[in-house]
Amino acid sequence: MKIDRRSFLAMSVGGAVGTALTPLPWKIQDDLAIWTQMWPWTPFPPDGENTYVNSVSTLCGGGCGITVRKVGERAVKIEGREDYPTNQGGICNLCASGLQMLYGPTRIPYPMKRLGERGANQWVRLSWEEAISMVAEQLGEIRQAGQPETVACLSTRPYGSMPALLKRFMTAYGSPNFMTTPSMMDAYDMTLKRMHGVDGRMGFDLENADYVLSFGSGLIEGWGNTVHMIRINSKWKDTNAVLKQIEPRLSNTAAKADQWIPILPGTEGILALGIGYVIIKESLYDYDFVNNFSAGFDEFRRAVLSGYSPGNVSKQTGVDQSTIVALAREFARARRPLALCGRGQGTVPGGFGEYVAVHALNALVGNINRPGGAWAMPRPEMDGWLEPVLDAPAEAGLAKPRLDGAGSAAFPFAGQLFNRVPVALKAGEPYPCQALLVYDANPLFSMPGSGMVREALQQIPFILSFASHMDETAMMADIILPNLSHLERWEDVPVTEGFHRPMLGLAQPVVDPQFDTLHAGDTLLQLAAALGGTVAASLPWENYEACLKEALSPRWAELEDRGYWIDENFTPDDWSLAFPTVSGKFDFAVSGADLKTLFAMTAPQGDDGSYNLKLIPYDSVRIANGAVGSPPFLIKIVSDKVLKGKTVLVEVNPETARAAGFGEGDQAVLKTPLGDAAVRVHLSDGLMPGLVAMPRGLGHTAYDRYLAQKGVNANDLIGSVEDTASGLDATWGILASLVKA
Amino acid sequence: MDSALIPKGVKRCPIWQFALGLGVVGAVLLWGVYAMILCWFKGLNQTNMNDYYGFALWIWADLAVIALGGGAFFTGLLKYVIGKDELKNIINYAVLIGFICYSSALLILAIDVGQPLRSWFIFWHANVHSMLTEVAFCLSCYFCVLTIEYIPLILENRQLDKVPFVHNLSHTMHEYMAVFAATGAFLSFFHQGSLGGVAGVLFGRPFAYREHLFIWPWTFFLFTWSAAAYGPCFTLLVTRITEKITRKQLVKDTTIQLLAKIAGWMMFTYIIAKIIDTVYWATTTAPSLGFTLKDFYSNNPVYGYWILFAEIVLCGVVPALMLITPKIRSNRLLLTLATILAVIGVSLNRWVMVLQVMAVPVMSFDIWAMYYPSWQEVATTILPVAYGIILIMISYRYLPIFPQEAELNPLEPEADMAAAAGTEETTEEVPEPGLTPAEA
Amino acid sequence: MKHSGNFGKPKRYGMVIDLDKCTGCGACMVACMAENNVPFKEDESKKLDSISWLQVYRLTNGKPYPDAEVCYLPRPCQHCAGKHEGHSPCVSVCPATATDYDQQTGIVSQIYTRCFGCRYCMGACPYHARHFNWWDPVWPKGMEKYLNPDVSARMRGIVEKCNFCFQRYQKATEKAHAEGRRDLEENEYQTACTQACPAGAIIFGDLNNPKHAVHQIAKPNLKKGGQPQNPKAFRLLEELETNTKVYYLSSKQWVQDAIHKPHLLDQKEAHH
Repeated sequence: MKIDRRSFLAMSVGGAVGTALTPLPWKIQDDLAIWTQMWPWTPFPPDGENTYVNSVSTLCGGGCGITVRKVGERAVKIEGREDYPTNQGGICNLCASGLQMLYGPTRIPYPMKRLGERGANQWVRLSWEEAISMVAEQLGEIRQAGQPETVACLSTRPYGSMPALLKRFMTAYGSPNFMTTPSMMDAYDMTLKRMHGVDGRMGFDLENADYVLSFGSGLIEGWGNTVHMIRINSKWKDTNAVLKQIEPRLSNTAAKADQWIPILPGTEGILALGIGYVIIKESLYDYDFVNNFSAGFDEFRRAVLSGYSPGNVSKQTGVDQSTIVALAREFARARRPLALCGRGQGTVPGGFGEYVAVHALNALVGNINRPGGAWAMPRPEMDGWLEPVLDAPAEAGLAKPRLDGAGSAAFPFAGQLFNRVPVALKAGEPYPCQALLVYDANPLFSMPGSGMVREALQQIPFILSFASHMDETAMMADIILPNLSHLERWEDVPVTEGFHRPMLGLAQPVVDPQFDTLHAGDTLLQLAAALGGTVAASLPWENYEACLKEALSPRWAELEDRGYWIDENFTPDDWSLAFPTVSGKFDFAVSGADLKTLFAMTAPQGDDGSYNLKLIPYDSVRIANGAVGSPPFLIKIVSDKVLKGKTVLVEVNPETARAAGFGEGDQAVLKTPLGDAAVRVHLSDGLMPGLVAMPRGLGHTAYDRYLAQKGVNANDLIGSVEDTASGLDATWGILASLVKA
Repeated sequence: MDSALIPKGVKRCPIWQFALGLGVVGAVLLWGVYAMILCWFKGLNQTNMNDYYGFALWIWADLAVIALGGGAFFTGLLKYVIGKDELKNIINYAVLIGFICYSSALLILAIDVGQPLRSWFIFWHANVHSMLTEVAFCLSCYFCVLTIEYIPLILENRQLDKVPFVHNLSHTMHEYMAVFAATGAFLSFFHQGSLGGVAGVLFGRPFAYREHLFIWPWTFFLFTWSAAAYGPCFTLLVTRITEKITRKQLVKDTTIQLLAKIAGWMMFTYIIAKIIDTVYWATTTAPSLGFTLKDFYSNNPVYGYWILFAEIVLCGVVPALMLITPKIRSNRLLLTLATILAVIGVSLNRWVMVLQVMAVPVMSFDIWAMYYPSWQEVATTILPVAYGIILIMISYRYLPIFPQEAELNPLEPEADMAAAAGTEETTEEVPEPGLTPAEA
Repeated sequence: MKHSGNFGKPKRYGMVIDLDKCTGCGACMVACMAENNVPFKEDESKKLDSISWLQVYRLTNGKPYPDAEVCYLPRPCQHCAGKHEGHSPCVSVCPATATDYDQQTGIVSQIYTRCFGCRYCMGACPYHARHFNWWDPVWPKGMEKYLNPDVSARMRGIVEKCNFCFQRYQKATEKAHAEGRRDLEENEYQTACTQACPAGAIIFGDLNNPKHAVHQIAKPNLKKGGQPQNPKAFRLLEELETNTKVYYLSSKQWVQDAIHKPHLLDQKEAHH
């Protein structure tokens, strides 16, 4: 058949029309639509049996009870445990994002050894046997050389069996250098020791307080137990309790408070003394407590009356005299007033004088060990363990002074002062550090003056990290023996952070280990076994679970059954028994300290006259700033007035910004004595003029693309300032200037 | 070489020049196609749209070309139903422009939706309460009608016409054209109206919301009315541009004047209605929803009262008065100016009803949403313009679009030969890319 | 999404959010994202293309230092009923019936597989409660393990929104059915955000049920389109007669003013 143009055309047209009349185009159209409804690159979560596992979240210090929904072997949702005494069903944004940590891309999948430069993030995989023998060999050599004290260990939490086991390991090994990352609890411990004479921890009966003076504490932004504190705040709304928030910035806590009292940063302690002045001067204090159960009141009274009149205090703090007087009268006349401190989330302790000044207010109104007051609480103890066995090298090592100077003649009351380690290592005093063990801590990111911390870490020849995620400090390590993630492991979680009942939670594995990782407790037991001798003898358990059961033996059954143990009936000691000081009374004179020096304000770093502003860091409840980096969900809920693209916005009062020539969103360079950073300006009517406020927790160099390289780490710009009276980190900010980019 | 296809009695530029023109516009078209492919394969993240600005440049272009394409249905209505026979001299071009506008609108919609492969769900799972469903049905149906109206024109091509079947088909179709024109006008009335309804029913958006007559908000009628009024202006404007580019008169003045006069009166009545609507909305509707006129025009860098002035007075009242004034209308330059203002006016109206609606905050603590299009959006919006120019070029070259062309431009034998020889002096058909008809 | 079917008396599920208690912590947003498989991408600071079904707005009183005040306002989908039950701004406009007003629960839900992404509903919603999937959702390798099987992961090119965790309602009713019950207890069906809120600021339940806390607190006047009779309570954009099911409580006058008076607030602070 001859095909000419016409018949070809006819065939084409006929074919097209014919095809259109068949079901084919419709079928194709339908199939395409179905295909778009199940694109192979869009995940399709498989179903399975639904189960719930109770545990405790250890991502933040709160230690909230959680219940994890599982579908088959997958954990799919973390919710607050409704019957858990502290959080009662609530959950914080960080712990609710916990599965992003468990399944996240920054998990360290196996033991590994550094390859190339420190911090280059290049590693070679090791087997567990290799890794443990390498570490044991390293530590063994140091011990053999008679220098066990040169090994230090840093943990985030001070309480619980893991810190206790680490401390025990260090003790048996022969090093006094077990430390935890500093926090306001160190300062409160010291306050308790020096004013109450109690070696314990501070607790606050917040739900029964009816008038709260908060000296910069971010009560609903992560101070203490986050969820518990937010619940308390709601309760205060229901009971019409009054909250007065004293801080330079309109934080969320200030926004929710009945009154926000802006104050010049770093002068909170001075205001407390001013309030004390009015209370004393107007004889508003609790006579019974002051006259019968306290000592040193005359010294305290003299110190306060000599320099802290409302006029003086007003000049130093920027708070009106009338406000000072009003606060004093309201506080003293309230039924159950309570004064609190610890700036923001309390991640930096602050000067000891501040704590004394603030806590003295509680004492003046007699709200000590009373309902709605400040309570001296016993420390959680590991009562199921026997004493470690010490050999001669261990005894010798333990007799050496600590690296951080805690307990030395200069700082006799300090438990630990990790903030002093960078300075000590730089000075080479009292001895160099040859090895550092890091557990659940990320000091390179979370400590003020991260530059100094980096220098210090560089000086340590051997760093062992137990990190489960690749954080900044883990990146500096020589060997990583990765811990299980928080949802894969057993752990006891004592509830502390100002909670007013003795309480213990039990975290249990929710899912099987996802990677070739090991519980740090087991790793430590294997290390001890490899070291042999008395170290092995002191850590004799077969595995961590056995060790944990033994540590918690009196309460194990209850813990396993209910997931927590609490002493609901705990009441603090009566005033007559409460103060094991020399006088047997509450000590206003702070165990003979020089009150005048103690109360002096800590000057910020770098006062050379070239800076016209002050930079203050602030803690945001939406940004994790401690050992754990913000998971993607957390970064997602950060306001675009805090982080835009990869640039952080700093808050500046509109008046201050205008004077410096900045408008909303303008780019700027923030300069401090420690360095420069590119930022944008956010005009905020909620900040005192003359200040720049920057959130903590941004500027990570480790972690994934959702978090890394976003914003600036405030700790790079703000150094650590030592409180001469206590050795604590008294940093509250730094001098700064904003210049055009 | 393509002389066999060129209509008898008219002259066209040499094929190389035509091809060159096609090439230049084709390059722009390809750029648009590239952007379109990016949008299809990578998704709408290629645009600058966001959750506040879900309707943006494309939807505006869509509404604008449909309004501008309104010349087709209204001229058809006038010629075939009302019997203004004079308009037969421009109806072909009106239909062609309408066809281009509507096919462009459909193409834009196919890019605009997030799941183009599912877009037929609008028919399959139709929600009869949705104005958009009404739009989709009427738009598709009317596009079919326009195609039917356009087909006889194609069939009139010299070569096709030689085929007896085609000749008869075309003849028969012409016979029934009045039916299609009436259907088209009916469908247009509804989809133009429902496009207006798209904004007018948004009772969550006080800036757009209007009171209803039965089930239709006032914008329903205003949109139909404005399309009927402004659409012919666009037909006139494109005709004028084509005449400028080809450097010959293609439609007699009587036809132009008639259409201009009708458009003028339509605009005049429309703008009165629009003013009443605006006043009622500003003084009654918006306040009843908790808003004042100031809320819609202040506290942002772009949207001010100037828009109201530009849309209603400068590009509404002014061109309407110009067109109904015979003296002004009969001046070619002023007529063109009036049509330009009118085209801007209706485009601005559609802009306001889409983009400003998205920009205005409703919750008191919300923000004005500002937006500018990405290059992909611009390219895909220019794509139909290029496509339209190409279709006009081809249609003009090979189809007897303008019945009066031969009469108005009698061929001289030598000129014919010159054209065949390809001298440049007599060939001027290629539009420059910069001189594109302002369709979008 | 399946219809809830005929189950007991018609409900009107709704919320009361106490702005005095809300601390702006954002746990509700995270709980919502975790429950509902909401994706995330590298840069989420462009808030206008960041999917968050529940958005916490930051309101300021617009006054200069030191009189500035801040209030947080969580905004889930308001589940409008409109002038007559089911005439929500968005449901009425969706051309493909891809969003649906469930007469049994009063919940506005989205049918992801039917939506073809025209975004008309987004334009219709004055609360900006609707979000478009501008991007393909991508979870880093391994993280897809936490996805909830009760909620499908959405594909690019469609609209999604808060549906009061409708999957939880379905589970609860299935359970109740199996146990031969016709009605749900108040605590049997709670949204993820309600459950997570550490402040207890969100209360959820059936507004039609006088025994439920939401009814007792908001005291909706069913004859007047659900207007609250509690003087402390208000709804967003009451004048539009969207008849929403989310009530807010605030004891602060400036907050109540800020909700009702447009442009009382300074633009720069208004968002998120």
